[in-house]
Formats: sequence, C-alpha cells, structure tokens
Amino acid sequence: MKHSQLKEIIKKKASKIEFAIVTNLENGLSEIYEPGKSLSKEFEIHKEQIDNFFKLKKNGVIESTEIFVETYIRPIKVIIVGAVHIAQYLVDFAKSLNFEISIIDPRGYFASEQRFPDMKIINKWPDEAFKEIETNENSALIALTHDPKIDDPALQHALNKKFYYIGALGSKKTHENRCQRLKEAGFDNEQINSIHGPIGIKLGGRSAPEIALSIIAQLVSETYKK
Amino acid sequence: MKNSFDEKILEEANDWLNANQKIVLATVIQTWGSSPRQVGSRMIVNEKGDFSGSVSGGCVESAVVRECIDLIKDNKLCKKIEFKVSNESAWEVGLACGGEIEVYLEQIN
Repeated sequence: MKHSQLKEIIKKKASKIEFAIVTNLENGLSEIYEPGKSLSKEFEIHKEQIDNFFKLKKNGVIESTEIFVETYIRPIKVIIVGAVHIAQYLVDFAKSLNFEISIIDPRGYFASEQRFPDMKIINKWPDEAFKEIETNENSALIALTHDPKIDDPALQHALNKKFYYIGALGSKKTHENRCQRLKEAGFDNEQINSIHGPIGIKLGGRSAPEIALSIIAQLVSETYKK
Repeated sequence: MKNSFDEKILEEANDWLNANQKIVLATVIQTWGSSPRQVGSRMIVNEKGDFSGSVSGGCVESAVVRECIDLIKDNKLCKKIEFKVSNESAWEVGLACGGEIEVYLEQIN
C-alpha cells in the first residue's frame, strides 16, 4: 500500500464515511471503495460481492479469488430515553461496540454533562428531540424511564420509523399497560409485539450494570439477526 | 462487531511513517476454527521489530514480526503466511487454541 493511500483512508475514517479497502493479495494492489461508487476495472467485476460484505457487516476474502475486503461500517445509532443509572453503564458497554449513543431526557437534573461526559444528551421531550436525530430502520431505541409521558412518544416514533430494535424497561405489568396504550394509539399487534419488554435477555441479575449488560446483549444479538 | 472507525492502528502506522520508519502492515485475512482475533485485525511492525496491535492472542506475533523484518530486508511488497495448530512436542509457532489463521503482510511505502 502506498503511504498516500493510507493517508486517504485515515481521512475517510475521520469523516466517518463508509468505505472498504479492497486488496488483491497476489500483487498487493489495493483500492478504496465507497458503496455506490465505481471501482477500477480490476476490482469492478467483484462489486456485487464487495457490496455483500457491507450487507453482512463482514470482512474477508471473496470466495475463489485473491481479493480481500475490509469494510468500515458506520456505528449503529442507539437512542436511549432516560438518563438513568442503567444508561450510565450502557454507555460504558457501548463504547467498545459499534454503537453510537444519543441520550434523550427532558429532565435536566438527570441528563447532566457531569453524569455523562462526552455524550450527546438532548434535554428535550422525545417529539422535539427526534427532530435533531436522523433515524431509520437501522436505528435502535432503549426506553428506560418507564414513565409513559417520556417513553411512549419515543416508542411511537421508533415504531413509525421501523427501528430494528425497540426495548422498554419495566415489569410485565408495566409492559402490559404500555401495550394497551399503544393499541389505543392505533398500533397493531405485530408492531406492539416487536417491542422487547420487559427489556433484556434473562441473566438473573438485578443490579444496574447487570441490567445494562442484559440489554446490550439483546441489542447485539438482534443486530446480527438484522 | 468491532468499531473499525475507532481503531487507531492505521493512524499509528502513519505516525511511524512520518518518523521515517519502514512499516509492514499485517492483517488477519482468513480464520478457520477458533481463533482469538477476527478477520481484519491488524498489527504494524517496523524494521527494528517494534510492533503495535495484534493478530492473535500472542501466539504468533513473534513469528509475524520476524516475517515482517524479512519482507523489509528483501524489499518485497507483500506476502501471505498461514499459521496452523501447534504441535506441542515441537518448538514451533502455532495457535494453542486449535485454530488456523492466514495473515497478509504488506509494506507501506
């Protein structure tokens, strides 16, 4: 690889543009590929397979070739509603995974910078806050306040935008009431059942870091099912 | 599901190059069975054998460093090396975990 190409890669990484480094392992030639853009003749014939590596979020050698593909895939947006104690642990776990977290909490005393250093915190009600975050079916929502005033609008937004993961904290009873409210708001059973509630996989733990771990484990698992 | 954007090994390679060092980039390109680091894991090695990053759990790094130094000495552009399960009765480099990995070495110039 040329030093100039390395610099180009570093620049792309800094601006968080999705790309892949495509390398011919036989002759050492490599190229930077951005999805949707074209490649040189040598690599263009493998375009479909390269795009497939993006889809599978994987790196690897294209079958029966000597072409290696390393993808740089933007982190998945995870929106946490409720700057509560569990959220502090979620932020820690997410740091080492490919998740980019935003926290929404209209209660200023919860969502303080001191409690969440270096974190994007939006001190607004969900309806207003979501105007500042671009979301789609590749986004995830973790609702932690179990206060219908705050959680419900966020859940409705996530359902409308077809988030691939929606989880809501609360007991079975809390969740039943939540489902009932969503039903009354016009959401169908399939939509409502897509919400993971009570949130998290069964670990047995009840402390804040344990609950955070069970949530993040479920999120990782659902991300691979995507 | 690593966050490639946050890994800083390529930035480190750039710093080393700016300090006029010769650099080989080693990348895990294929794995079979259980292996400690996933495809895309990287380490960099300079002509003196200093290295940063990893391609296994410490099992084959020393061999990779030797190969990288040779690549610089022979002034070759790139090379592939494969590491298989170690034979415990022999003093050879291998993966104690029972996996196999293939590592691609390339000079940056």
